[in-house]
Amino acid sequence: METLGNLAFGLGVALTWQNLIYCFVGCFLGTLVGVLPGIGPVATVAMLLPFTFNLGPAPALIMLAGIYYGAQYGGSTTAILVNIPGESSSVVTTLDGHQMARKGRAGPALGIAAIGSFIAGCIATLVVAYFAPPLAELALKFGPAEYFSLMVFGLIAAVVLARGSVLKAIAMVCFGILLGLVGTDVNSGTIRFAFGQPELTDGIGFVALAMAFFGITDVVVNLEHTDKTDVYGERLGSVLPSWQDFRICFWSIARGTGLGAILGILPGGGALLASFAAYMFEKKIAKPPRQFGEGDIRGVAAPESANNAGAQTSFIPMLTLGIPSNPTMALMIGALMIQGIAPGPQVMTERPELFWGLVASMWVGNLMLLVLNLPLIGLWVKLLAVPYRLLFPAIFVFCCIGVFTVDNKIFDIYVLAGLSAVAYVLLKLDCEPAPLILGFILGPMMEEQMRRAMMINFGDVTIFLTRPLSAAFLIAAAGMMLLIALPSLRAKREVALQE
Amino acid sequence: MRIRSPKDFWSGLFFIAVAAGFIALSHRYGTGTMHRMGPGLFPILVSVLLAGLGLIIAARAFVIDGPPVPRFHARPIIVSLIAIALFGVALAHFGLIAAVAAVVLVGALASRESRPLETAGLVVVLILFSATVFVWLLGLPIPLWPEA
Repeated sequence: METLGNLAFGLGVALTWQNLIYCFVGCFLGTLVGVLPGIGPVATVAMLLPFTFNLGPAPALIMLAGIYYGAQYGGSTTAILVNIPGESSSVVTTLDGHQMARKGRAGPALGIAAIGSFIAGCIATLVVAYFAPPLAELALKFGPAEYFSLMVFGLIAAVVLARGSVLKAIAMVCFGILLGLVGTDVNSGTIRFAFGQPELTDGIGFVALAMAFFGITDVVVNLEHTDKTDVYGERLGSVLPSWQDFRICFWSIARGTGLGAILGILPGGGALLASFAAYMFEKKIAKPPRQFGEGDIRGVAAPESANNAGAQTSFIPMLTLGIPSNPTMALMIGALMIQGIAPGPQVMTERPELFWGLVASMWVGNLMLLVLNLPLIGLWVKLLAVPYRLLFPAIFVFCCIGVFTVDNKIFDIYVLAGLSAVAYVLLKLDCEPAPLILGFILGPMMEEQMRRAMMINFGDVTIFLTRPLSAAFLIAAAGMMLLIALPSLRAKREVALQE
Repeated sequence: MRIRSPKDFWSGLFFIAVAAGFIALSHRYGTGTMHRMGPGLFPILVSVLLAGLGLIIAARAFVIDGPPVPRFHARPIIVSLIAIALFGVALAHFGLIAAVAAVVLVGALASRESRPLETAGLVVVLILFSATVFVWLLGLPIPLWPEA
């Protein structure tokens, strides 16, 4: 009952005309940019960040969340129509979605993606509303040792569940932590790693870092391959799936939602893992074994529902623990800090309008996406035809303006250029950028918690293992590392994440 | 000894170099004790871990096979970096309009497919768009023209 009361309170915040407009603008802009080929949700959120600077914290967060779902949905549209996943979580959507488009059923594919996402979004909103408060309450009892170990656990989980070499990913986390430490040390006032540059005393700009790794380098790599793509949008067909389609999909959507909601809560899970797992699961249990990979509508419905549910529940660790589970959530935390709010369990009690307003706006945002996307699909299809040679200079402009407006510092633009060079080299060496971003956000927090833990316990390092909860986190982290080292499981993970 | 996985080998070396740099700098900041950790201690701990990982990654490159380092295409990356840096220089001295023009005109050279006339049109569109949206609608404090 209390939850319903809170949700009603949240709806009160989300349904003010001002917040409704921000939510709408966020969804619209997010979809608009997300549809453009070669721009993923992280770059979309980063580029649109300046639009939120002049808003209050609640409208800013609501708009960013809208941008995130919008970008997510836009990514599915490109996956279905051009066979290019706008982002990694819609990779599996290309398998059946694009086949449907080739058979002239692009319309129903886009329709079921929107409807599935909406249903999943509604249910995931309830999950967030019910699960976040107890988790935050638990987190409030955490001491510094627990917090430190939780962050270690979160980072390891994020790394294990992500793509690529685990060793390299952990190394990237460390590199991220070190970059995060640049600037003034809050405890002693010492300026670290600034090379005498006064502009670096506040640290490396987070937006510049995210843009370098997810915006600029993506453009550069896209420019290196000039593949021609075919848009299958001429014959959309009816956007509304038939009753028959919907009946086939109903349980796929339900299962996708369930899987997505659970996997989204895990650190590192989020939308990507959710969509893969949901697709694999549907393929396994499909009875009669229909034509997965040849345009089965369930192969679109399940992963699309799952990735939306996962996208939404991944807000839980971000809102309750202040720990981002993926780069987009790291950006959200960055945005909160720009607004002057320290993320963590206290947000829910100190700024209830922020938390419940956001939760309620998730539901409103999903409704808007549905209303927005079904009639506007024709417009999105036209956008897909914009040639990349016109698009990429615009991306440069928005990245540069976005980076500058965070602090109005010209220096940040040069930081963007420098980090882009580093990001480019690392990309060529197959080092994934996502762990670096997470390390960058969590690094300073980890240092702070470790210092506090050491201060309280007179420098006794064993405290991390003698406090039960802290030990549990560390053991879980170690267990995951061991599991991943086992050859049989490693092979399975590679198969599951490769596809 | 032959490097069998060049990507791993070079990433390992990169991580070791980064770690070495941070360790060298951190010593100056004072490490303190475990009880009262100084500003240099945590970076050193992380750097040591990073160096260790780098070492393993690089050493492993002699044992397991991996793909070669892909070709670096010089033009897109170098032109892009120059364009971004020029945006900064132009914004500092001549305002947003010049900065947008600079980053688009130079940035377009990163692709061989860019066409001069289209790029000129794009400059005009993007200048109008950023001036209207960012400066006028959103009210962000960006100078449009050179400050007198």
